Amino acid sequence: MNIVVLVKPALDTSNLRTAANKIMVEDTPLKISDIDRNAAEEAIRIKEKMKGGKTIAVMVSKYPPTPKRGGEAENLAREVLAMGIDEAILVIDDGLIGTDQTATAKAITEVVRKKVGQFDLVIGGEATIDGYSSQVPARIAAELGIPIITYVREISQVGSDSVVVKRDLEDEVQVVKSKLPAVITVTREINTPRIPPLLQIRMAMKKPLSKVSLGDLGLQVERRARTTDLKPLQIQRKKVLIESGTVDEKADKLIQYLSQEGVVTPR
Amino acid sequence: MRVIGVFATPSTLEVMGLAQKLGGDALVFILNGGDEAAERAGRYGAGRVVLVDCGAMCDPAALYDAVAGELSGLTHLVFPATKDGKTIAGYVAGKLGVPNLVDVVDVLAPNKFSKYSMGSRGAEEVEVDGPVALVVQPKRFQPAEKPSKPAVERRRAAPIVELTGREEKAKGSLKIEDAELIVSVGRGFKKQEDLKLAMELAEVLGAQVGCSRPIAADLKWLSEDHWVGLSGHKVRPKMYMAIGISGQPQHIAGMLESRIVVAVNTDKNAPIFQYADYGVVEDLYKFIPVLKEKLRKALGK
Repeated sequence: MNIVVLVKPALDTSNLRTAANKIMVEDTPLKISDIDRNAAEEAIRIKEKMKGGKTIAVMVSKYPPTPKRGGEAENLAREVLAMGIDEAILVIDDGLIGTDQTATAKAITEVVRKKVGQFDLVIGGEATIDGYSSQVPARIAAELGIPIITYVREISQVGSDSVVVKRDLEDEVQVVKSKLPAVITVTREINTPRIPPLLQIRMAMKKPLSKVSLGDLGLQVERRARTTDLKPLQIQRKKVLIESGTVDEKADKLIQYLSQEGVVTPR
Repeated sequence: MRVIGVFATPSTLEVMGLAQKLGGDALVFILNGGDEAAERAGRYGAGRVVLVDCGAMCDPAALYDAVAGELSGLTHLVFPATKDGKTIAGYVAGKLGVPNLVDVVDVLAPNKFSKYSMGSRGAEEVEVDGPVALVVQPKRFQPAEKPSKPAVERRRAAPIVELTGREEKAKGSLKIEDAELIVSVGRGFKKQEDLKLAMELAEVLGAQVGCSRPIAADLKWLSEDHWVGLSGHKVRPKMYMAIGISGQPQHIAGMLESRIVVAVNTDKNAPIFQYADYGVVEDLYKFIPVLKEKLRKALGK
């Protein structure tokens, strides 16, 4: 069974660099989008169970400056290779900077068609830490013309031509059966990603990692959405700290504030 | 003439508020809804309603095939930011090759929008050329009544995947998104039984009980309908009281639109205090019972 894993070199949103009320994308470090580690883990487990085939991580670099990001993304690719993914393909091209999910999905689709070939499953995370839009996997399914099953918290059965999964929705859990190939997105609850031992990290250095450009994929991307402003989100809070006094005094103080705010109305 | 396509279930029809804000004619696809939902769409000014019978589950591919002929010429497509809504949005926008913006918070112009980004740490403005798909929290733009008499037709979208089972989630009638006051609990509580401290306080206040991710997803001390956060529920209460919650970014993203935020934590350096209007540095085990009693007296309960 050949499994494609979507691994995003994402902006580390807990380390956003800002200056003069702007988010400095170029200076913010990258990391693997958290839930993509769960996707990689699940792919490795399925491959182990099915005893055969391979797992391929597909990554798309979206942030400037391209020369620096190439090296950073390569290091991130090594992390999933160390976990047990067999091969990594990184799409990196200045033409992808500032494009929306349309371009990301098309680039991944072309990698699958032209570089991967035969595949059974595409697995991604339910959302990425930086975009959090949950749109790319469904778009890939639309491009490839295959089923999309999102928010999977358990893969109950995998056969050679079908899969049974549990979808975790707001009000219910759906048990869904789909034929393969299909695109699946997983939630954090599906597994605990492994932390690779040192030996595997060294071995990962020898695994195949290739970089491809839009030209290699025969792809031209359109730019139909532009970010005109990107600021750190600031919600003004009063930040009044109640830290001195007895427990009683602190409670009185809080009730006084809550009354002033109209949250409670003491008689 | 602007024609806006709206995809909604009967419980997310409020997304029509965004169509109203954009102006123009609304073509509303109601997924697994009946005459009552069509009538409600009419009250919000739908020009035309297509009732789509999705069968046991709304499969994006089947849905797209059923309505594809109607989508050319639409200037905007509106989807609710539910899990199914986001999936359908991605699939439909992918088929049409149009950009999509998720978590739109305001319309600056018919082709310019503001939205949250970077896991709700950034505020972004985006300009688009041509048609665009917009995904919004159902209650972000409340629709006004502007009755119309829409033509109603029916379609079927038989899923290409098969629903073989269904498990109800353990939950009460709680809808935390609608709560006016929320008392929310986190890892500062050492045992499940201790949550009763917060529950009693909530009762005195007439508040609902919320929680952070570990309480619902890992420890399962409360069902997931209590979970506030990026992957849980997004809330906008009059007051949000975070007790024993440190303030991880994913949690903050779920409550940042609260009007007043109160935090109770022993650790003065807990990040939650940066997002709070009133922060109490105290052991919750000592503080909450005292606060509860004082409030009980003050409120005459």
